Amino acid sequence: MLEIRNLVKVYPGPVAALQGIDLQIENGMFGLLGPNGAGKTTLMRIIAGLLEPTSGQVFFDGADIVRNPDSIRHRLGYLPQEFGFYPNLTGEAMLVFLLKLKGISAPGGIEELTRDLLGRVNLTFAARRRIKGYSGGMRQRLGVAQAIAGDPSIIVVDEPTAGLDPEERLRFYRILAELAEDRIVLLSTHIVEDVAVLCSKFAVIRNGRLIALTTPSEARETLKGRIFEGTADNGRLRDIETTHCVTKAMLIQGTNHLRVYSPAMDPPAGFQETTPTLEDAYLALMARAAAERPVSGKTSR
Amino acid sequence: MNRIRFFSVFRRELSQNVRRPFFWIMILLVLFIGFGISKGNVRVVASGDAEIGGTKAWITSEFSNAFFDAVLIFILYIFFISVTAGLSVIRDDEQKITELLHSTPLKPSEYVWGKALAVVAVFLIVLSVQVSASMFFNHAVPHTENIEFFGPFQAAHYIRPAVIFGLPVIFFITGLTFLMGEWTRNSRLLFFLPVIILSVTLFFLWEWSPSWLDIRIDRMLMLSDPAGLRWLSQTWIKVDQGTQFYNHSRVPMDGIIIGNRILFTVLGFAAIGLSQFHFGRVLRRSKSWSLKRRNPPGYNGSETIRTTQPAAAYRPLGELGMTGRTPSFFETFPAIVRVELRELLFSAGLYLFVPIILLNAFSDAMTSVGPMDTPLLTTSGLFAVNSMEPLTLTVCLLLMFYMVESARREKATGLAPVYRASPVGNFAVLSGKAAANGLVGVLIVLVFLVVGITAILVQGRVPVEIKPFAVVWGLLLFPTFVAWSAFAMVVYSATRNRYSTYAVCLSVLIFTGYRQATGHMNWVGNWNLWKVLQWSDMGVLEMDRYALVLNRIMILGLAVLFTVLAVKLFERRTPDASGRLNRLQFPVLLRLAATLIPFMIIPLAAGIVLFHEVGTGFQGSVREKAEKDYWRHNLATWKDTPVPDIAHVDLDVELYPETRGFAVSGTYRLINPSDKPLRRFPVTGGPDWSNLAWTLAGKPYEPENRSNLYVFTPVQAMASGETILLGFTYEGIMPGGITRNGGGSREFILPSGVVLTSFNPEFVPDLGFHEEVGIDEDNRYDAKVYPDDYYEGITGPFIGPNRPFTTDIRVELPVEYTANSVGMLKNRRIENDRAVYHWITDCPVRFFNIVAGRWDVRKGDGTALYYHPGHGYNVEVIGQAMDAARKYYSDWFMPYPWGELKISEFPGLAYYAQGFPTNITFSEALGFLAKDDPRTQVAFFVAAHEIAHQWWANILMSGKGPGGNVFLEGMANFSSILLFDQVKGDYARMEFCRRLEHDYGENRQKDSERPLVKVDGSRPGDNTVTYNRSAWIYWMMLNLMGRENALTGIRDFILAYRDGPDHPALQDFVEFLKRYAPDSGEFDRFVAQFFFDTALPEYRIDAVESNRGDDKWWIRFRLTNAGTGEISVDIAATAGKRFSDDTGESVPGYRESRITARPGAGESLELLIACDFEPERLMVDPDVTVLQLKRHLAAASIK
Repeated sequence: MLEIRNLVKVYPGPVAALQGIDLQIENGMFGLLGPNGAGKTTLMRIIAGLLEPTSGQVFFDGADIVRNPDSIRHRLGYLPQEFGFYPNLTGEAMLVFLLKLKGISAPGGIEELTRDLLGRVNLTFAARRRIKGYSGGMRQRLGVAQAIAGDPSIIVVDEPTAGLDPEERLRFYRILAELAEDRIVLLSTHIVEDVAVLCSKFAVIRNGRLIALTTPSEARETLKGRIFEGTADNGRLRDIETTHCVTKAMLIQGTNHLRVYSPAMDPPAGFQETTPTLEDAYLALMARAAAERPVSGKTSR
Repeated sequence: MNRIRFFSVFRRELSQNVRRPFFWIMILLVLFIGFGISKGNVRVVASGDAEIGGTKAWITSEFSNAFFDAVLIFILYIFFISVTAGLSVIRDDEQKITELLHSTPLKPSEYVWGKALAVVAVFLIVLSVQVSASMFFNHAVPHTENIEFFGPFQAAHYIRPAVIFGLPVIFFITGLTFLMGEWTRNSRLLFFLPVIILSVTLFFLWEWSPSWLDIRIDRMLMLSDPAGLRWLSQTWIKVDQGTQFYNHSRVPMDGIIIGNRILFTVLGFAAIGLSQFHFGRVLRRSKSWSLKRRNPPGYNGSETIRTTQPAAAYRPLGELGMTGRTPSFFETFPAIVRVELRELLFSAGLYLFVPIILLNAFSDAMTSVGPMDTPLLTTSGLFAVNSMEPLTLTVCLLLMFYMVESARREKATGLAPVYRASPVGNFAVLSGKAAANGLVGVLIVLVFLVVGITAILVQGRVPVEIKPFAVVWGLLLFPTFVAWSAFAMVVYSATRNRYSTYAVCLSVLIFTGYRQATGHMNWVGNWNLWKVLQWSDMGVLEMDRYALVLNRIMILGLAVLFTVLAVKLFERRTPDASGRLNRLQFPVLLRLAATLIPFMIIPLAAGIVLFHEVGTGFQGSVREKAEKDYWRHNLATWKDTPVPDIAHVDLDVELYPETRGFAVSGTYRLINPSDKPLRRFPVTGGPDWSNLAWTLAGKPYEPENRSNLYVFTPVQAMASGETILLGFTYEGIMPGGITRNGGGSREFILPSGVVLTSFNPEFVPDLGFHEEVGIDEDNRYDAKVYPDDYYEGITGPFIGPNRPFTTDIRVELPVEYTANSVGMLKNRRIENDRAVYHWITDCPVRFFNIVAGRWDVRKGDGTALYYHPGHGYNVEVIGQAMDAARKYYSDWFMPYPWGELKISEFPGLAYYAQGFPTNITFSEALGFLAKDDPRTQVAFFVAAHEIAHQWWANILMSGKGPGGNVFLEGMANFSSILLFDQVKGDYARMEFCRRLEHDYGENRQKDSERPLVKVDGSRPGDNTVTYNRSAWIYWMMLNLMGRENALTGIRDFILAYRDGPDHPALQDFVEFLKRYAPDSGEFDRFVAQFFFDTALPEYRIDAVESNRGDDKWWIRFRLTNAGTGEISVDIAATAGKRFSDDTGESVPGYRESRITARPGAGESLELLIACDFEPERLMVDPDVTVLQLKRHLAAASIK
């Protein structure tokens, strides 16, 4: 179990990136949802032992990660948001190298394991090619391969689907889902669909604060009867935006198709009640949080 | 080019750079240097009157500033500029803003020029601070102690040199490294550039200038020196122009320096222009270029690049059976080394610059120069030791850059989060990277090894030995690399900033060099072993082996300590500011220090022992104090006190080379030479003697011990002519302890050889107070000023006793050694498995010595040459010189009075030869290892010179006073000229005279120079006057008098003065020889100019016109004497080559036509030479018979 207690991180400036996060995460896929700059990456880096917090504690299976970051490293699979590789190594050599650094072994030997892993991320054809010739998606897949390697007790993936095409994204979902069966997979994203597809539980953070800890179904349930759907021209859209929380506005054949969150169940005229989605729930949470605590200048990173 | 965009880039780059610690460290450095120069720690222009109150060369003159700027700006700025300019574009790439920037209307020209000129501006700021600091420290707050070195303030004296010597360097290095960085986008590659430029310039362009170098090559080298120092030094500083000139003149510019400065400025700007062109091209083609580079093998261009393939059937991950654990050091270390090496091998720098290093090293090896500008044979040991410094400097710099780049490779490539989140240990990471970079160092050393072996093989005379390379590079150099790498790593771990790391490491290198240059270094601080090694083929590093071992243990211990510290400081987790503050609290730091204690023990213990050994060594503070006490205690009472003469020496000497020990038991029979009774007399004893016991008149005696000066008071005062027996026994060590900072020793007992002399009181008691003991810069006083008529009446000897004495010396030592001493070998016997050599004098001597070694011997005609078995290269040449010298000197001066003439080789722990009577000692580096050729003939010369001292010092001793040494050393060199002429012919004699003249021209100090009769060795520049100018003057005098007249006069002179009691001064010499001069008026004029004045002709030829008549060519020209002497000189119009450079023999077909002229000082003469052939060249003094300045200018081509 991963337990986070009153975690605070203040960058010089000062910029308060985390303002007292408390979380308990059990085995399974856990999503961390939040807008850009909410503090997700800071939290992920602290958990991965790459960033020292200002205060607070992080325990993984009883081991204090803050005091002893080494305690998690051999049990960790980590895919950072931004990363690179040695450009002159081949994908295969790079992966072999990283497997050795991570102390990973397999019955068939490390070379065979490397080939298997590259196959799983669909990079077999480029295994012998130097990484400096890889596209962004290929690098991301190589990153995925190293993150899932071994038998990590916890996998931390930060915005993992960025740069992946839909096919690869689905493939990655499948891998993560499989891994989440018997370990913690912590998925940080600002893409609500990733959480909707994968996570049994998720947290929403904004400006370094936890504003929700729930499940996708719970989140949707709380909005039942409060989401309405309808159409509007541009003039009316502007009016609705001033009176209601618009969770989605799509322009289809010149007409705006809107989804509106109305906590008072007072939809604009002509709008019909509809089934809430997770995206509705996320945006409603954001709107509520914004109303409660307006964003100030230097509060988060 | 849009001005706003250009200035926007310029301002951004400028403001980024001036905010970096790098910039401020540079500013601090130039302030510190400005202060140091003002304080007078460094002098550049050697000219000046050395006497107290004499005019000094100002450090504020344009010449001094030019010299400082040329050296400092080049050495100091080059790395800072390279890093700043080279990384300018690379940094944008690393920050991933290049593409963003160039998606704007910003043009390559605005980007490249904005950035490059901002770097130039940064260093112009630094230069301005440097110049302002110099002005401030020199004029606003000058050091009162050095007030005589400060001239009046003139801003131009600072600004002009900075512009002329500083700006082109800044432009050139900025342009070149900017281009490198932009072109390669490889930060490692651009660091090679300054290393190579610096090493080529420092060790070749500034250093290599043998006297025989062709003027055209010299000019080419001047032109190719980016600093302009070679030109400045060769044209204006080497040949002293005098204080007045240096203090008041601007640096006169000529075509070479103007061309040089323009060339490097243009090259700098051209490089920036090329960078703009290349940058624009890459931007325009980036898409197609990058696609092409990324194409996989077999790609035919018709299909799109495949980045995915159809998915295979999915298998659960669990089926792979993967397990993870914390890997061990031994699992990860090799993997890291391999990957690091692989990345390093992709560094183009290795392939581009290693060949350049190779060429540099090769030329260094082939052009190594020994004493007297003589090319040396390159042996394995000499190559290994001589290349230590360039190798240490270049490899340490490369290691620093590679280590830092390696340490931040993950950050630069973006792998850092993955890498640091893995369970690999810090120790494996750091040691793996260090090992990979160390292997690069090893690779370069191996390249050097190949170069060395090739150089030795190409030379073809000396066998290749691997042992010296293994010892010097393997045992001594390698620990330096290890420790330096660890140091760079610990600095990077502590600062996490490459600029700070470079700044700290470069500061350490500069500080080390500064301590070396100012003579403050010792074994404890000398981590890189600069200037400490003295190689000898006869014994491997025997002199300071103990110090070397301790020093290397200390350095390796420090390497371990640094590694541990680096591991502790290396933070994989980005620290929190508050956490960092907590870790800086005293208890935390104390705990960190406590964990380091086990790793401090070895370096600390080695350092303490070394420090103690340095202090108690023979150059240490303990000895220094004892010598000072000797001087302070006795100067007033015992300086110039009368002492008895030695009439006979009887010595039993036991030598123990393995332990450096010796034991002496002996007696001096002393005689009172004075006509007054002698009540007491002092004897100076050795500083490291133990179990010392004295006897006087055969009875035990306890003299008064005045800080090692023993005062003997006989029961009754010694009457005039009375003798008394002084006895002594003692034991000692020679040398006593280690040196202060390496180097050699003039006298020693070592397994490789023994050299002991009666010159110093280290080995045998020395009668009287020893005036030089205990003198240093603090208490040095001016030499005694003698009245002009000091030589009239009886004059004492210049050195040594008033009269010669006899010796009876028995030397006991291990049987494998041969012991030589003065006189003839009476017998050799074996006692208790030790050999005993018994030497007695067959004719009295003035000095004695003992030299021992394991030699082969070459016997000649009354001569014997004892040499190291591996040094047979020049044995025949030296042997022939010995035979010839003994024969001809006997004919010319006086028959040799002793039975045998010996030369014995000793290890190259000092570069000298000493002409003891019958028993000359030669350092291996003199003659034995000379690259002897028809041009240099160095082996012949050294032998000829030292053998001449048998006559000039041993047979005839000059008088005590100014000119005394001028007579002895000058006559020895003059005798060598005669012997060259006799044995080797015109070409060799002329080359030898040219070399003496060149040395004199380069080393004379115009303002300090005094006439020969006044030279006492106390002033800078006296040495070259003593040896070279005086030899030339005697040679000119011989030509003036006629050879036979002069030699007859010299023979009679020896006979007149040989037996004393008066010892001749130079005034006696010229007065005596005047009787033999055919034209006494001409002789007087000559003597007045060249003995009693410092006359020196300097000829120029110009306005040359050639006209062909009916049957002749008429050459009209102007001959000017820009110097100060007046003497007849030949001028020849020549065609063809006179001598072969290879053999020195006359070349058939050479033709010449001569006239003689006598231009007075400052006078010009219009002259005409008729030739019945078509002449090619005009040459003043074709036979090299008139000493002159700048001989190379006294010639002209005839068009």
